[in-house]
Amino acid sequence: MSERLEHPEAGLIERIRAIDERAPEELHRHVQALVAERVRGSRVRGGTGSRTRWSGRAELMAAGVAAAVAVIVLVLSGGDSSTLSVREISAATLRASTTPAPGESLRKLGALTESVDGVSFPYWKGVGWRASGARSDTIDGRTVRTVFYTGAHGERIGYAILAGTPAPAASGGVVVSRHGHPYRLLSEDGVRSVVWLRKGRLCVVAGRGVSSRMLLALASWHERAT
Amino acid sequence: MRTLDPQSLTQHVDRLYRAAWALCGSREDAEDLVQETFARVLSRPRVLRSDDELYYLMRVLRNTFLTGLRTASRRPVTVATLEDVVTADPRPMARPAEALEVQELYAAIATLPEDFRLALVAVDVLGLSYREASRALRVREATITTRLFRARKQIVKRLSPEPPSSSPPPQTPSQREERNAGGVLSGEGAQ
Repeated sequence: MSERLEHPEAGLIERIRAIDERAPEELHRHVQALVAERVRGSRVRGGTGSRTRWSGRAELMAAGVAAAVAVIVLVLSGGDSSTLSVREISAATLRASTTPAPGESLRKLGALTESVDGVSFPYWKGVGWRASGARSDTIDGRTVRTVFYTGAHGERIGYAILAGTPAPAASGGVVVSRHGHPYRLLSEDGVRSVVWLRKGRLCVVAGRGVSSRMLLALASWHERAT
Repeated sequence: MRTLDPQSLTQHVDRLYRAAWALCGSREDAEDLVQETFARVLSRPRVLRSDDELYYLMRVLRNTFLTGLRTASRRPVTVATLEDVVTADPRPMARPAEALEVQELYAAIATLPEDFRLALVAVDVLGLSYREASRALRVREATITTRLFRARKQIVKRLSPEPPSSSPPPQTPSQREERNAGGVLSGEGAQ
């Protein structure tokens, strides 16, 4: 008591150290999912040998060799094509638009007139993002249609839908759930993207300088609104 | 030297979350920061020089936090409406009084200058030793001591109620007149 009065910093430290706030369950689940993914990846690369018996140095050397082998395999095989496709689709969302933006659909609430395999692009003007352009690309022989949106302060994001099925498998990043749908959050070279499926079609919404939370909110807006 | 065991990381989620909360000042940003930190750490095998992985996590947390700050300072302010609507955290904290104190404390820490904040988070929130904190933050141990001392002082000052003044403030002539008039009207001093 007297120590607290004489040294209020001691009381502060006590208060800070007494905080035992637990992280949200969702965050625990995400981290566990990341760990599980990492462990699975290690087993695939390193085999199922008894790693615990190895000495620290041997384990280190093995990790180095495994990493080198993984690099060689990646170089020879040209990388994981499915991951590459997702990355390429994400890259398409950063390119320049080549056609004018589609207008608001009069038949479908909250949608633009543009769609891919029956999956329509969302109309987000009401939430501060107006459609500002569009483009089409062909990646791995499949069409990727992208609509660009501009925010109130000039931020730009691209919303891409890959035509056809199956959707390439995405990996890495963090998977979160919104309204019962899984979304994968990725970040690379300052570009944040959210990858998910709509009617089996791969969708990517990505942008530079836009937070993951904002992208996730926009991506999940459709499921919430419909 | 040893390779980092990914499965051992799950035990640090709570502590790292609290550290991230104190750094960011908001629970939502803290969740993002922790997710990104773990995603970075787990993106490839890691080799640690010591047994304690917590200091290593703090280092990655710091780097991720600073990268986020730099990115945020470059980008234009984003529209807040949708984000607020969709991601506002509906979870109530279990104990309102304690929740208020936690929020108040972490919010106060989050207003500290960056260097002070990192030092305080590393030592007081995360529980690292001065030595570990200095390694995690890549500064000298003496610097940690100084920053921590100043950070704590600032927080105490911010959280302290305004001290009662020992002498009443000087009164203006009109205030004195009002006081005198009040005393007469309420019958004070009447015999």
